[in-house]
Amino acid sequence: MSTTFNPTTTIKERARISLNDEFLRNAVKYTTEKLRTSKKLASDELGNWEEWRERARQIRLHTIAHLDYYLSEFVKNARANGVHVHFASTAREAVDITLKIAEAKGAKSVVKSKSMVSEELHINHRLEEIGVEAIETDLGEYIIQLAGETPSHIIIPAIHKNKQQVADLFSEEAGETLPPETPILAGFARAKLREKFLEADIGMTGCNFAIAETGSMVLFSNEGNARMVSTVPKTQITYMGMERIIPSLEDLEVMATMLPRAATGQKLTVYMSAITGPRRPDDSDGPEEMHIIILDNGRSSQLGDPEFQEVLNCIRCGACLNACPVYRHVGGHTYGWVYSGPIGAVLTPRLNQDTEKWGEVAYASSLCGACYEACPVKIPLHDMLVYIRRQKVEEGHTPASERMAFKGFKYIMSNHRRFKRTVNLGRTGQKVVVRDGVITSKIGPLKGWTEYRYAPSLAEHSFRDSWRNLYAELEGSTPDMSSDVMKRLEEAKKKQGGRRHE
Amino acid sequence: MKVSIFITCLSDAIYPQVGEAMARLLARQGIKLHFPEAQTCCGQPAFNSGYWDEARASARTLLEAFDDSDFVVSPSGSCTGMIQHYYPTLFKDDPVMLKKVHQFCGKTYEFSQFLVNVLGVTDVGAHFPHKVTYHPSCHGSRLLGIKEEPRQLLANVRGLELVDLPFAEDCCGFGGTFAVKMSDISGAMVEEKAQHVLETEAEVLVGMDMGCLMNIGGRLRYEGRPVRVMHLAELLYEGVKQEV
Amino acid sequence: MSKQGEDIIRQLDDQAAQKEEQFFAHIANRLNRPRITRAPAHPFRGAPDFWHAYDLSEEKRIELFMANWTSMGGNAQRFSDIVSLRTYIEDMAKTMKAKYMIRFDHPLLNEMNVEQNLPDVEMTVWNEQAQEELLTKAAGADIGIAVVDYAIAHTGTVVAVSGAKQGRSVSLLPTVFIAVLRAHDIKTKMGEVMADLTRRFGTKLPAGIHFISGPSRSADIENDLTIGVHGPGIVHALILD
Repeated sequence: MSTTFNPTTTIKERARISLNDEFLRNAVKYTTEKLRTSKKLASDELGNWEEWRERARQIRLHTIAHLDYYLSEFVKNARANGVHVHFASTAREAVDITLKIAEAKGAKSVVKSKSMVSEELHINHRLEEIGVEAIETDLGEYIIQLAGETPSHIIIPAIHKNKQQVADLFSEEAGETLPPETPILAGFARAKLREKFLEADIGMTGCNFAIAETGSMVLFSNEGNARMVSTVPKTQITYMGMERIIPSLEDLEVMATMLPRAATGQKLTVYMSAITGPRRPDDSDGPEEMHIIILDNGRSSQLGDPEFQEVLNCIRCGACLNACPVYRHVGGHTYGWVYSGPIGAVLTPRLNQDTEKWGEVAYASSLCGACYEACPVKIPLHDMLVYIRRQKVEEGHTPASERMAFKGFKYIMSNHRRFKRTVNLGRTGQKVVVRDGVITSKIGPLKGWTEYRYAPSLAEHSFRDSWRNLYAELEGSTPDMSSDVMKRLEEAKKKQGGRRHE
Repeated sequence: MKVSIFITCLSDAIYPQVGEAMARLLARQGIKLHFPEAQTCCGQPAFNSGYWDEARASARTLLEAFDDSDFVVSPSGSCTGMIQHYYPTLFKDDPVMLKKVHQFCGKTYEFSQFLVNVLGVTDVGAHFPHKVTYHPSCHGSRLLGIKEEPRQLLANVRGLELVDLPFAEDCCGFGGTFAVKMSDISGAMVEEKAQHVLETEAEVLVGMDMGCLMNIGGRLRYEGRPVRVMHLAELLYEGVKQEV
Repeated sequence: MSKQGEDIIRQLDDQAAQKEEQFFAHIANRLNRPRITRAPAHPFRGAPDFWHAYDLSEEKRIELFMANWTSMGGNAQRFSDIVSLRTYIEDMAKTMKAKYMIRFDHPLLNEMNVEQNLPDVEMTVWNEQAQEELLTKAAGADIGIAVVDYAIAHTGTVVAVSGAKQGRSVSLLPTVFIAVLRAHDIKTKMGEVMADLTRRFGTKLPAGIHFISGPSRSADIENDLTIGVHGPGIVHALILD
């Protein structure tokens, strides 16, 4: 559906479109369920998941808290291995650096393995503009590139495409009709992309993790395209979000244990490649020249903000997408930007530093907390969504009618007598719309509710109205509290001070 | 010992029978509940929508009402979760109120938590010979960590057949204002949840949150399904009423 | 690269050198403290403590490795001597009607000399002399043979380290990949591999260290699993006792 990261529609409109796309809904549901189940199996098999999670979280927290140190160590060690390291504060800067490298190498074609950061830069379009062909080699990314669309899931980008659609896309590319059979379609992609790998001037990768102590970058992939892209072309450009770093090789074991299990339920992705610099003088393969572009693009704005710094822990596993009931119903394009699901709902307004335009994404959530429960590095995404909403209110970007409604709420709820009066008024007023104890009319403020379900009517007598009678009745009939019960209450009271909550 | 009920705005205005059931069940344990009338609402609708000043105004009525209570018991995992998980954040810039908040958090319990963990009661002596399925509300299970308590209470109800709800942990789509603000997505979620309920062929859907139950119940009714929707307290009380 | 090209790259490097301190200072600034230039205490390093106790006997390691490797679609075989291992490879090459093979220049493979009994096969040995052609040879090869430095039982992984005589392409470009490994190089868990790599190389790691856990795969087309997308679709782990 989406061909751009700059939507002109509201999230509600996009959601409605997605909800009416039956194939999409079934595909997303099927895939997320499969991944969720696989993750559960894998984490149960590993055992002690909560302890691993806590360790992963601590490693990330520690790294982010000392990011200047670890990043500078990484840069120093990478350079010592011959890597050209560049710094881009904005997407624009990263694009400029990329285009200059392409120009310097006289590049005609670039092969890419999956990089969400590169999507932030719209780098494919920028390269095409200067006459450089940019080809996605991850099968899912290749499919959506041919379709001219954006990814709808962090791990499985073409989840929304069925076999026939893929066959149609590949057939056009092939110049002949290919049947909607996976082995044939995959075989076509393999052969076609192999040509591209072998003739490309530049290989472009993302970076799952950078290791500070050794100056290495680590890539996780199942298809082998990340390895191809970092082995065959003479020049390599790697995009690295500035927060994608861990202190040491030892710490990589933790990330390698968590990421594949959380993402797809695998013990390890088929390929995990630790790449330390371009080829050595006596190596006969690997890139001759390697560039790592470290990107900020809004990430540093999360540092020092106690409410959002933890979002930089993210290892881009997609577990939150698979756990999210909202994502399951609407898929990734509804979110409108590079990152979707719960992590997308937080990153989009935060990285773009624009709550006015993007804040609405944070409302596509019932705040159920499944994302936090699923996150291998324990990011409190459900809390962050509320903080973003609060930001939107503080900045005055919420509709006037909503502000009025909550002023009303405050007025009524700050005084129990007003509350009681309002309920009484409501009880009288609802007589117009209540039938058989329920409200079904699809007009007025309850429309959003009654479009999908019946609304209950207010009770004949509220609890507080009936309390006096109830209390009197119970007064007479309640047995004396036993000493056992009293003891229990006393025990519990003693422990009350220690009831900490996370 | 002053044990008070935090009825919640929803139960107060729409489902008073839940509060009544709680009061009667606790009376049988020899506990006379108090109802401090200054209470209105925990403030969650405003809080979740980002209107924190408005949320604080509402929250203060609770802090005032329960100031001299030793225990505060509520029929809502969601509202109790709001108090436990978010009141400290809500009042973090007000050291005086924050102290009251910590005290308040220490003495507030969701109903099944209170019965099982404080009173040590897992069997209220109920008889309820029906097929029942249980929906664990998100805030109750994830924010408050209530996993076992309702199940233990249900397990000891004579004649009750408990059927597992498929994908029980999935959110029902209520989310307070979410249901109205993002109505299409919420509608899709509750439709799916209702489907799962029907798959169990249960006669009764039970839960610990009237928000969720109002949502799922409203959907079931909209679809013309005769599944009875009850709060855990209602079910237990009905189960003991006959024994008397 | 042209002189012009070199200049552009040099300019970019200068730009980076100038921007660097500012980039780091900005981070320290945001974190509300001065720049840290000395290593901070690193208390949460590596796997959780209880994990270090997980250690299997050699037999159990071999068993677990083979189980995990095959569950991902790989083939695994054990051999008690080098001759039977060689015969296995010969048989495979003949059955596949392989025409082109490529292998590491490694003492074990040199001793094995598998090409000796395969006169119809053109075997390329990866050595520094033939730099230009090696990649092309790998791309055209039916079978690639590497001796891997380690295997990991816990995840069903082999670890290939790149070098002058061991191109990374050997485990990547051919249709079939054969990983030859010694039983005693199978570790229980990944951390042990990391520790040994650190012992051998310190912080100066080889340019490519590849952890391979089976044949290449993808489920990107309607969740249908397909094997052999870009990397080798058939992989063999041949374990020499």
